[in-house]
Amino acid sequence: MNTSTRRTARLPIVMALLGLATIAQADPVERTVPADARGEVEIVNVAGDVQVRGWDRAEVQVHADLGDGVEKLDVQSSRGRTSINVIARNGRNSSSGSDLIVEVPRDSTLIVKTVSADQTIAAVRGAQRLQAVSGSINTQVWGQEVAIKTISGEVTVAGQKVAGRTAVNTVSGDVNLSDIAGELTLETVTGDMGVRMPTLSRARIQTTNGELRLRAALTADATLDAEAINGDLSFLLQAPVNAEFDVETFNGEIDNCFGPKPVRTREFAPGNALRFKEGNGGARVRVKTLNGGVEICR
Amino acid sequence: MNGPRDPLDAALEALPRDAQPTRDLWTGIHAEISGQPSVHAGSSGGTSPPGLPFGRVGHRWSSPATATWMRLAAGFVLIVASSLTTYVITRQAAQENVLQAQRAVEIHQPVVPVMPANFGGQQELNAEYLSARASLDAEFQRQLAMLPPVTRAKLERNLADLRRAASEISATLAEHPSHPLLQELLLSTYQSELALLGSVTNMNVPTKTTSPHETRL
Repeated sequence: MNTSTRRTARLPIVMALLGLATIAQADPVERTVPADARGEVEIVNVAGDVQVRGWDRAEVQVHADLGDGVEKLDVQSSRGRTSINVIARNGRNSSSGSDLIVEVPRDSTLIVKTVSADQTIAAVRGAQRLQAVSGSINTQVWGQEVAIKTISGEVTVAGQKVAGRTAVNTVSGDVNLSDIAGELTLETVTGDMGVRMPTLSRARIQTTNGELRLRAALTADATLDAEAINGDLSFLLQAPVNAEFDVETFNGEIDNCFGPKPVRTREFAPGNALRFKEGNGGARVRVKTLNGGVEICR
Repeated sequence: MNGPRDPLDAALEALPRDAQPTRDLWTGIHAEISGQPSVHAGSSGGTSPPGLPFGRVGHRWSSPATATWMRLAAGFVLIVASSLTTYVITRQAAQENVLQAQRAVEIHQPVVPVMPANFGGQQELNAEYLSARASLDAEFQRQLAMLPPVTRAKLERNLADLRRAASEISATLAEHPSHPLLQELLLSTYQSELALLGSVTNMNVPTKTTSPHETRL
């Protein structure tokens, strides 16, 4: 084989290696734009991790490792709104995700939408609206309104014991909420829930297949509604407890540490009910289950 | 057995024991082994070059340079042919994958059947509700096909759980028609089903191929 023939034979190998190098390469990008101290920041990423941190500056800074299949990182800021989009090439699937680290003004309102990506948010004190189709969400809240929706993925929220409004809606995935206060709406189809609220003024908790363990201090006029189709519900209430309780199960035991015993609701059908008042009865606790036990203790 | 002789046996015995070749083959064999040209006795004539079988007429390369070029050309043809073969096979495989994916999307049918909704067999839910439910379900199935397979499986499993729960509560309610807890939980489960069907549509999350301004699934 002469020289030219050898070159010809090597060409496909060289081209293949170049192609592999292009695939393996992540493209780091850094962008900084001015932003309002209390503006809105929206982040959209299809695949990869998203980390958001609050800081003191009135600007948004993005550090991105863009995966293959990404056309560009689009960062725009105007009229108090900053948007960060990882734009994929049309018709092309990205085999690797794009990882974003975003620093935003601390009091920003934050909107994050991801698919197949984990979200981690720290030190952002404004309202948060977080959505993940597949991926976990881990955030800190400071009493501003927080709405979290996931289809598949765990949710972890660490509060600062400041009253606010928290709404978590998951289809599949465990939920862990600690030191949140004020109002809570929590809905899951499948997933266990651990909730700790130093003060609870209003809560509605609903699950189809999942267990709940709630530790809370009820405010004087608190309302707590919980419902499960399949799953045990456990309430550990911090003294002093002043509430009226209305608990009913179709197939499930009721364990009450406050004294009164449950009674059978019907002679020829399953079902237990427990109704009693503790203290002055200012708050209201209502619990219903189909197949699941209920434990109420302090 | 001493019976009359079979005429076939007699005919066989009359055949000659050996047969002489029409020409001397050894000359050609010897010439082929020793590399010498040979003249075929009894053949129609013609010579064979060294390395070629008897009776075939070959061409000798006129010069060593021509022979080298011809070998290179043969090598090139071999490379091109193998590359083309690889390309065709790879392309066919890729097309097959695309077709399989398209078929998968086309034949994606609701895996979770929509159960007839009623309240313990006593009271059918009204047509408006059923229509809204069917519409939501159709949209849900359409969106579902675009989701990652793992997420899709989880959604389908959870929807199946909800529908099974509704079905069980409804059946239980049929046995205990005036049970308020069952009525309440069944209503709540139907609401959860609608919420789940709507959740995918309402998420407004991006896909890999949508533009930044088109953030619906």
